[in-house]
Order: sequence, then C-alpha cells, then structure tokens
Amino acid sequence: MKLHASITDFNADVELRREGERVIATIGDFEYDLQLHKSCAGQFLLISKGQVFDCRVDGQPASGATLEVTVGTNPYAVTLIDQKRLRGADSAGTHADGAARIIAPMPGRVVRVLVEAGAEVEAGAGIVVVEAMKMQNELKSPKAGVVTALNVQVGSTVNGGDVLAIVE
Amino acid sequence: MFQKILIANRGEIAVRIIRACRDLKISPVAVYSETDAAALHVRMSDAAYCIGPSASLESYLNIPSIIEAAKRSGAEAIHPGYGFLAENAEFARSVTSAGLVFIGPTPEAMEVMGSKISARRAAIDAGTTVVPGTTEALRSYDEARELAAKFGYPIMLKAAAGGGGKGMRQVAAANELRSAFEAAQSESQSAFGNSDLYLEKLLEKPRHIEIQVFADTDGNYVHLGERECSIQRRHQKVIEECPSPINDPDLRQRMGEAAIKIAKSVNYVGAGTVEFLFSDASRDFYFLEMNTRLQVEHPVTELVTGFDLVREQINVAAGEPLSFTQGDVRWNGHAIECRVYAEDPDNRFFPSPGTITFLRVPAGAGIRDDSGVTAGDEVSIYYDPMISKLAAWGPTREEAINRLRRALDEYAVGGIKTTLPFFREIVRDEEFIAARLDTGFISRFNERRKERPHPAGGTQASNLEQDIAVIAAALAYADQQSGLRTNHQPQQSSKWKMAGRTAAINQTILARETRKR
Repeated sequence: MKLHASITDFNADVELRREGERVIATIGDFEYDLQLHKSCAGQFLLISKGQVFDCRVDGQPASGATLEVTVGTNPYAVTLIDQKRLRGADSAGTHADGAARIIAPMPGRVVRVLVEAGAEVEAGAGIVVVEAMKMQNELKSPKAGVVTALNVQVGSTVNGGDVLAIVE
Repeated sequence: MFQKILIANRGEIAVRIIRACRDLKISPVAVYSETDAAALHVRMSDAAYCIGPSASLESYLNIPSIIEAAKRSGAEAIHPGYGFLAENAEFARSVTSAGLVFIGPTPEAMEVMGSKISARRAAIDAGTTVVPGTTEALRSYDEARELAAKFGYPIMLKAAAGGGGKGMRQVAAANELRSAFEAAQSESQSAFGNSDLYLEKLLEKPRHIEIQVFADTDGNYVHLGERECSIQRRHQKVIEECPSPINDPDLRQRMGEAAIKIAKSVNYVGAGTVEFLFSDASRDFYFLEMNTRLQVEHPVTELVTGFDLVREQINVAAGEPLSFTQGDVRWNGHAIECRVYAEDPDNRFFPSPGTITFLRVPAGAGIRDDSGVTAGDEVSIYYDPMISKLAAWGPTREEAINRLRRALDEYAVGGIKTTLPFFREIVRDEEFIAARLDTGFISRFNERRKERPHPAGGTQASNLEQDIAVIAAALAYADQQSGLRTNHQPQQSSKWKMAGRTAAINQTILARETRKR
C-alpha cells in the first residue's frame, strides 16, 4: 500500500508491505524492517532492530484525516493521503481570503456575546464567551478587522469546530 | 459505626470514599445523573440511585433528590466529597433534619468560612494576618475601581462564594478592571448562584501553602502539616506536594498552630484545610481561606503521614475520637500529586471531552492513582474534566520526582487529550526539580516551554520516531481499509465504492518523493 504522509514539518511518500508479523516500510530514502504485534484496536507494537516502539493511533483513519499517533509518550499528528482516494476530494476548508474565523474549540454554551455584527475590532478583542465544563472561555479575534458574521447569540449551544463569528 | 453511607458525589472522589467504606466494612451507596448511569463509582457501589438529568443543578446539586435517595437506601450518613454540595450549609442542615449524619463540619462553621469575606474577618479575630484587601463585598464597579486604586494594582478580584479558581480574575491595571469585574461576577453567579466579589492586593511571587487540620466532637484539634500547592494554572492547583520543599519544622508548627486557632474559632469538626500565601522574602504567611471539606490533594498528606483521612472523617462523624494525637503525627518522606485533566495542553488547555478508548494506569513502588474512570468511559461536558490524581511517594523529594516521572511515562490514555504530556515536561524542568516554586511558576514554565524544541520538532533523534509514527498511522489506515473490505460496513462501504476503490491493501508501489531531512 502506498500513501502520502505529512507530519509536522515534512511530507513523504510511504510504502508499506506486510508479510505476517513482518512490516517492510519505505519512507523517503529509508527502509525499515519491523516486527508488528497488535493487541487491541489502535495499538501497534513495532520492534525495529530490537528497539521497542509502543504506538497508539487515535482517530478515524481515512484519507485526508489527521491521526493522533503516540509513540511511547510522544505525540505526532500524521495526515495520510491515499492517492486512490483523491477523486471527489476538494479543497474546501482552506480560506486564503484573510478572514479570521472564531471557532468554538469544544462543545459548550454561549454565555456572552461581546461584539455586534459590523463592529470594528482590534486584534485580541474578546468576541464571544463560551462556557463548558464550568469554565468560561473568552474567544478573541486573532486580527483587527470588521465582524462580518456573528452566528450565535447568548444561550446558543455550540459544537466544537462551529464557526461562531468571522472577522475580516 | 455506620452500616451504610451514601456518597453524594461522582468521579474519582466518589471512588475514593467507596474504598474507605469498604475498608471499614460499610456498604457504599452511590447516586448518579443520567449521564453517569454506568460510571465507575456506580459500578463499585452496592446500591445506586438516579438523582436527575445530566446538568449538575438537577442532579448532584439537587438536595431533595439526594436526601430522598438516602432515605430509600437506608443509609445513616452522607459523605459529600468535595465540590458540588460539600460546602453547602443548607445541604448539611437538610441532611441533619432528615435524621441523617452529615460527614463534615457544622453548617455554622461552613457559613462563616463559606463566604471568603466573613472568613477573612474570622481569621483576623483569631490573630492571623490576612492578605491586604477588603473585608466587605464590593457594592459596584465604581467602588471596585476606587478600592483597587487605593490598594494599588495589580489586584485580585475574587468571588465571596468562590472556590476552584472560578469567579476569580487577576487585574494588572485599571483598564482591565471593568471586563474582569463583569466576567468574575457572571462566572460566580453561574457557578455559585452568588455574584458577591471582594478585592485583594496581589502579593508578589507568593507560595501557596495550606495546613490540613482535623478535629473530633470531643474537642481534640490536630494539624497534619502543610501541602505546597504553588503550581497553579488559572488559579487552580495542578501539582501538590507534602511537605513543602521549604520543609521547615518551626514554620510548620507556627502555621499549624495558626490554622488550629482559626478552626477552633468556628468550633470546627472533621477534616478542613486552612490556606495561606507565604512570602519567601519575609517568611510571613497570610490567611487566604479555609476549605471546610476534604481537599482534592489529600492523598499527599496521607502518603506522608500514613493516616487515611476519609476513614478518619467517617469515624469522627460517627462520634468517635480521632485515632491519633498531635504527638503521633510524623512526616515520613515526600509525596507529589498531579491532577490529570481531560484538557489539551497544546490547545490552551481547552477541555477535551470524549470516550476513553484506551487506558493504561501506572503502578509500582510508591505510586498511587486515584481515578474515577475506566476504558470505554465517556468524559462528558457536564462536569469537571479531572479524570484522576496521580501521586508518587519517595523517601526524598528527588526520589518522589523520579517515581512520578516514571509513572507519568507509563500512563497512557487514548481517545481524549489529557494534561499528562504537560506533567511529563514539568517533572523534567530544572526549576521544578530545584523546587523554585511560587504561584507564577506555570507562566514562567510556559515561557521556557516555548523556547524548547517540540518533542516532535524534527531533530535527528526524533526522525526515527517520526517515521515510526507514520508507519503506525499507515498500518491503522490499512487495517481500516481491510476491515471495510471484509466486514462490508454498509454506511461506509458505499462511500468507498463511490470513490472507486479498487486497490488491494498489502501491495507495493514505489515512493515518488523523498523526504526533506
């Protein structure tokens, strides 16, 4: 199986071949010959030349999705692209228009809205206060601009990833 | 002694109290909200009663519902744990008037100490110095502005009913006061149903040191020494130690005596904690507040003194004298506790609710983990995101740190983000190891953290691990693909069919790009 992987600051193609418990992987110029032992879902014990790598993969594996991989205690965010999956994919979600989206970092309830639509705000100005798990978090504008959209009001229930407001 | 105790709480503290009940051969009764129906504390108890919907106001804060469950269960006493109703005098009174025993101090003592404002007055009357500030509630923003100017910035705004860092704001200058005042009021109203605020001058680089006190109904008062809780984030403790690295027996005795005087002034019964701010420069201590309950961080005191504080609480509530006197208290070795939260340290510590898909809990010499969850459990958005407390004991502070570091590295939680990576860095931090602690530690640590290369930052040493991470991810993807092929999961397979999936899984294709090293 061949995949394209991106992680932190590099991109590479990955090539994987499995022979029972043996995994032969090529990443860039490097080839690895590994022993693989699986226990429960998401747990991969890899042994390379006697060196132990206890790995756990969190997240739903899919082309284009970012998986949280923990090797020992170190976390890595790995995004895999399956070239066979590219058809139908689009580049939605990238916005090169310079607009800043104020996004709910987690599910919660809007307890205060600090600006009105159309207001001019400075960088760092509070936009919306979201309460979750008993803590109130003020979401601030990362840039100076005009509030072009305000999608919530006091009392709104929001999900993580919801766009609460847009500053342009 | 009681036959049956109802625990009016959830999570790790409910589990902790259930364990003490088991040790005393008392039958534990749990209560739960709809969300918590299958929670660990329910599974570990003998009987369990649903007390309402998920929102804590309708369940864990629902006094009539809890009293009714206690009566139905036949419990003789109620342990409130910490948080929720633990410091609610009305609840203590309702328990007593229902003919049950409240495991805690009298409602009168709770009321004096429950308002931080009257607590400050009580401490002054007991002869202790308090942090400079107001002894009355602020009547308005304008009054706050005048008084803040009088005491001089920076100041702290605090909720009179506060606790756990809620309703608390540090204000550096006058132009920040209004938004801080409104935010603290609103947070206090929502958390405690009371928006009274008071104001304190901010002390420079204080240590947060608290004294554990204990009293029985015979009027015996003891202190179990101090805990250092200077490592705080958003005014919430994250790491606690016993003893304080200062480890000064004379200071311990002076603070212990001051704490006992304060406890005596309100006829305190049971476990309580008197919190002080301590100045390294002057070696003076200032009363901050008294918590009229068991503290989250009580395990470090237990590890060092050898006493079981929950067991002692239950004994005292049953009318028995304390099992030890002041002369029996010895401090052996050093203990450090980390509060493990379902929060993402790489994303401004935002809570990270979700299902725990994997859990490996550390063990071994000197390690104690007080947890309220198991694998498969849901960390919900409704309650505090603390999932466990990991404590390490060693004969010296250095050995305790070594064991804590080992245990943190062993600890693995999948499915949600936790603060474990943050703690792994702290126990390796020079300032922490050198015990240069004060309440500004975390903000300085975060500055140092920014300068350090990220563990996954692409140094030569981590290239191998990065590659392994990519391989593990690819294996997970391959498993998912082969699972889809063999299981024919209906909702997903159609999507894959649409994408025109034809390739076999374990097939070799050549790499096209080489990575940049």
